[in-house]
Amino acid sequence: MREETRREAVWQFLTYGFILLGAVVTLVPLYWIFVASTLKESEFLSSTDPTLIPGGNFFNNFQSLQARDNVQFVGHVGEMTQYVDLGPFYFAYDFWNLWDMGAIESSIFVAGVYTILSLLLCSMAGFAFAKYEFRFKQPIFYAILATLILPIQLLVIPLFLLMSQIGLTNSYWAIILPWLANPLGIFLMRQNMRSIPDALLESARMDGATEFQLYYKIALPTMKSSLAALSIILFLFQWNLFLFPLVILDQGKYTIPVAINQLVGAQRVYYDQIMVAATLSIIPIFVLFLFLQKQFVSGILAGSVKE
Amino acid sequence: MATHDSLSGPDPSIRDRLRFARQSVSERMPTPGEGIVGYMFLLPAFLLFGVFLAFPILYTFYLSFFRFEGVGDGTLLWIDTEFFSYQLTNIADLQFVGLQNYTSMFSDALFHQAMFNTTFILVVQVPLMVGLALLFAVALDASFVKLRGVFRTVLALPISANLVAYSTVFLLMMQDAGLVNYVLTSLGLPAIPWLTSSFWSRMTIVGAVTWRWTGYNMIILLAGLQNVPKQLYEAAEIDGANRIEKFRYVTIPQLRPVLLFVFVTSTIGTFKLFSEPVIINGGGAPLDSTITIVQYIYQTAFIDFRLGYASALTYVLIAIVSVLSAIQLNVGGEDSA
Repeated sequence: MREETRREAVWQFLTYGFILLGAVVTLVPLYWIFVASTLKESEFLSSTDPTLIPGGNFFNNFQSLQARDNVQFVGHVGEMTQYVDLGPFYFAYDFWNLWDMGAIESSIFVAGVYTILSLLLCSMAGFAFAKYEFRFKQPIFYAILATLILPIQLLVIPLFLLMSQIGLTNSYWAIILPWLANPLGIFLMRQNMRSIPDALLESARMDGATEFQLYYKIALPTMKSSLAALSIILFLFQWNLFLFPLVILDQGKYTIPVAINQLVGAQRVYYDQIMVAATLSIIPIFVLFLFLQKQFVSGILAGSVKE
Repeated sequence: MATHDSLSGPDPSIRDRLRFARQSVSERMPTPGEGIVGYMFLLPAFLLFGVFLAFPILYTFYLSFFRFEGVGDGTLLWIDTEFFSYQLTNIADLQFVGLQNYTSMFSDALFHQAMFNTTFILVVQVPLMVGLALLFAVALDASFVKLRGVFRTVLALPISANLVAYSTVFLLMMQDAGLVNYVLTSLGLPAIPWLTSSFWSRMTIVGAVTWRWTGYNMIILLAGLQNVPKQLYEAAEIDGANRIEKFRYVTIPQLRPVLLFVFVTSTIGTFKLFSEPVIINGGGAPLDSTITIVQYIYQTAFIDFRLGYASALTYVLIAIVSVLSAIQLNVGGEDSA
């Protein structure tokens, strides 16, 4: 019996050691990004005496990052245009120009717009597949399903040619439109929306609801948790997109990945600026992750369903 | 349960609802006019799907038989009325070359190098990462471990790191005089040329990708572990199985479908590697030893502007990925049946 408990203790010790080692290896790079962004370049690049204690140089590094002329990382106050008219349209236009967007805002804006539009499209398509009978329903569904397996980022070449023909190069629409009809999103929404009872829709029809009201007053509210999970998948997909924005966007419209790549590929690489950029790019998702952990996890799991 | 937290898997009621739904659908009689409503809901997604997904897939195939001569300017359709004018030009100027794009792959040394690098990273990285993810999942599923929720969160944190940002950080940490070598030398170990030797530069990519994705896969495996019936472990205990035997004869077989899924998605992920080698190794350095297949496609297409050849390469890659996915569906499907 004593032999048994001792072995148990050793086992528990080893398990804890393994977990702790994993946690340290996971945290050190993340922590180091943060620390390095607060130090002078010479301090964190020194090979004799690297430090893991934050310094006070963050704002200097940030200012030198902002002073670069080939990358605008965080936006700044833009120039007001002249008011021609105080109509709402002009006001909106002027308001838009109050702030010159940098890479951070571009990324948040593009990922946000993409997520909202894609949720709308995917849930509508999913609703159609789940709750309506129509001709060619199965073939269309399976055609969409078949594209699930191929990495859609690989379609860069024809998309580039297509975008240059329809005049969308260097437009945010070029990196939003191609993946709006997300096969995974359509598949997930279809699977989940099948659980909406037909009787519920039928009784709403009796009460005079239009078909579109069935969708946005009944289907969407019941799908809240699936929509939240899907929105995490979509947001992160767009947030990490690198290859296609690199090909299609010009300087001044860069999203975060392309902007950081620009910093790394420069003639003289300023690592302090890169660390500030990396910190700023990680913080939004980091905060989201800590607050919406449940949705992140269900998003990952939703992405891993296969049937 | 006191230790219940968000990482312990999906709401089981979703599964029950799905099962119910699967039985009840499709025996319903369609109401008249329903089809049109269905098409209306489908229309926006279908249009975008057709233009930006189905068309590019087919057009890549078409392009792979041509040599690209420039962006097209020949007019295909020209509508010019008083109210509205529209000009449709052909997408590209092309020269038909037949199968030449495919046959020239056989003598393309850089393509072979890219395939070799990708395969090397794949063979080392995928088993390493899935193994680690499995060990972490099992360790963080053990009931005696305190603060399981916290550790799960910590290990999953790299999910929040932007792909390009974390690559940059690895580029810095792996310098000859960087943080990792500092730790190694202060432990009395020799410094390693992480970015300058062709073997170790591949290992750097392996390490970076493993760091980024282990937590992600751990979450999927943890969810899989929740579905392993507890009775199986009890039965194994009665039979006198020890921890390792329980892991070997209960956990692994029960997790098989999930493990397979993780294996195949990780494999596909490795075939898509782009930002890590581009950032960490500055486009394949040293001596093209880290150039990956997607990176090679990118270079061929957008630096050399050989779009036809790059399309053929894309199709070869799509074929590889499809075959791998088909294997996944077959093996996974056979198990769940």
